[in-house]
Amino acid sequence: MHNVINSLAVKNALRQLGWSQAELATRLSESPQVVSHWLKGDNFPRPDKLLRLGVALKLNFEQLVSSPAVQPVVAFRAKANTKTTQAHIQKAQAMGNWLRHLVPFLSPRRHLRTELTLSSPSYQSFQDAAQQVRQKLKLDALSPLDYASLIAEFKDNDAVLVPVLWGEQEKHKNALHLLLPDLAVTFVYLNLDTYAADFKFWMAHELAHVYTPKLAGTEAGEDFADAFASALLYPAARAAVFYVTDLQRCLSKTQQVIEVLVSEAQRYDVSLYTVYKQVQDYAQAQSLPLLEIHEAALHAARVQQRGAMICQTLFGEQPPTALQLITVAKTTFRSEFFEAMGKLIQSHGTAAGFVQQVLDIGLIDAKNVHTQLLVEASF
Amino acid sequence: LTLVLLDTNAYLRLAKRVKPLLGVPFGQIPYELTVLKDVELEVQRSPRLQQKFPWFNQADLMEERSARQIRLKSQEKLDLENATSLLQGIVAQQASDFIKNGRSAPSPVDCRVLAFAMLRSAIVVTDDLGMHLLAELTGLNIWHGHELLKKMLSAKLITNDLVRELFEALDNNGDLPQTWRRVKHSEFLKVFGKAAAH
Repeated sequence: MHNVINSLAVKNALRQLGWSQAELATRLSESPQVVSHWLKGDNFPRPDKLLRLGVALKLNFEQLVSSPAVQPVVAFRAKANTKTTQAHIQKAQAMGNWLRHLVPFLSPRRHLRTELTLSSPSYQSFQDAAQQVRQKLKLDALSPLDYASLIAEFKDNDAVLVPVLWGEQEKHKNALHLLLPDLAVTFVYLNLDTYAADFKFWMAHELAHVYTPKLAGTEAGEDFADAFASALLYPAARAAVFYVTDLQRCLSKTQQVIEVLVSEAQRYDVSLYTVYKQVQDYAQAQSLPLLEIHEAALHAARVQQRGAMICQTLFGEQPPTALQLITVAKTTFRSEFFEAMGKLIQSHGTAAGFVQQVLDIGLIDAKNVHTQLLVEASF
Repeated sequence: LTLVLLDTNAYLRLAKRVKPLLGVPFGQIPYELTVLKDVELEVQRSPRLQQKFPWFNQADLMEERSARQIRLKSQEKLDLENATSLLQGIVAQQASDFIKNGRSAPSPVDCRVLAFAMLRSAIVVTDDLGMHLLAELTGLNIWHGHELLKKMLSAKLITNDLVRELFEALDNNGDLPQTWRRVKHSEFLKVFGKAAAH
């Protein structure tokens, strides 16, 4: 299987321009036979001719070339109030295609991925899926989920974590999931410039994508990942106990409800909003009175409760050095990403621009990472 | 007049010391240097680049860049998008060639610079070896930064002293490309003399 010229697109373009195939050949300084071979799929133009062919016919690469290549599946955890555009998706797919070159340098994949199938999206099905995973993690129905278990679960499912520093506002995404379906490898980018409570939620959200590769990149996949993350981090069994023992007695007192929610969120090391959402969903499912809290009051409490940024917790106040980032990726996130990249750079003589594109960071930071990887690879 | 487009790194290597840089015809052809808006955007979006190159936002340089900015008509914009996409596709097709031997794959912005050069029959100046490979594969005109420097020196747009100063400053900043280093004592023999025997 190889790339071929999309002859239908070419013929349509020729018709629009009022050119014959022979005229096209003349414009490209080629013989009509050569052009004919391109259109029959017997031959594929060299890069210089391909470029001139597309420019002459006003076609882009996707229109001009039919490619059998399997594209990476992309799922974003976009920031609030940002819209994912086609350009974002294309850029992420390009990142995914560059990641292919790292795969030979990763340890052999286990291909033992847990796959969740969802019958129909409902409160109960989300809870069941979360409970199934909690059992797999040997967690009882009420225990908080810690980072170590989450990280281990990514590793067990052949997902490679990629901690990045994308800034708090600079990019439209906070996490990025790139699945290479033909290689059965998933790369999960996590922005460390994120508040602690949100970070844990995004990790659980990304884990949901790992469990449901067929849904990744779809709206249903995003809805499932959100619902699953909440249910996994704050289980329904606990929401039930919490509602009856702590909330029911103060349902009408907004301030008191918020205080109890904050304390519960701290206890489970999750976002205030996760607890709130789970309690509301539980109450609705059981036809119990809902919590009546204004969005603004909830948001204000959430901002106060969100804790330090993960990068501050990991690195202190200063931006980390390349060495610190690489070390944290390896030790805290148990990721072999940078190690694989170091091996690729050393064996192929790859330049820093590759690091820049694959990590979606600035060139100066990319050069620092590149230099550090070369230092480590030389040991 | 042949337009010569500097990529971001090429601009950052020269603009602090070669003044005026953009819009000055030089050589017999003659050539005229310019930058695309992408250079402006790349630096303005990167606090790290602004920190490393604080002079980028000096009024005279901003004015010079703004005066030389090229505005595109709507059809040209479409042609540019198509050509950029074709170049990106070519990079993806031959991906493994672009990540070896000191190269990295041209980014979408790099492809846009090359696409622009194709549509305007311009020459691109860059020290990025991936861009050189792509230009070679697609028959586009491209120079290394040192080739531009040589032409500017021959046209007496810059002096031997300035060439010496540029090499020294880049070397001190750890930013002297290998390609420049290789030609230091050959292409710039009159400036640096013969290489010392080891």
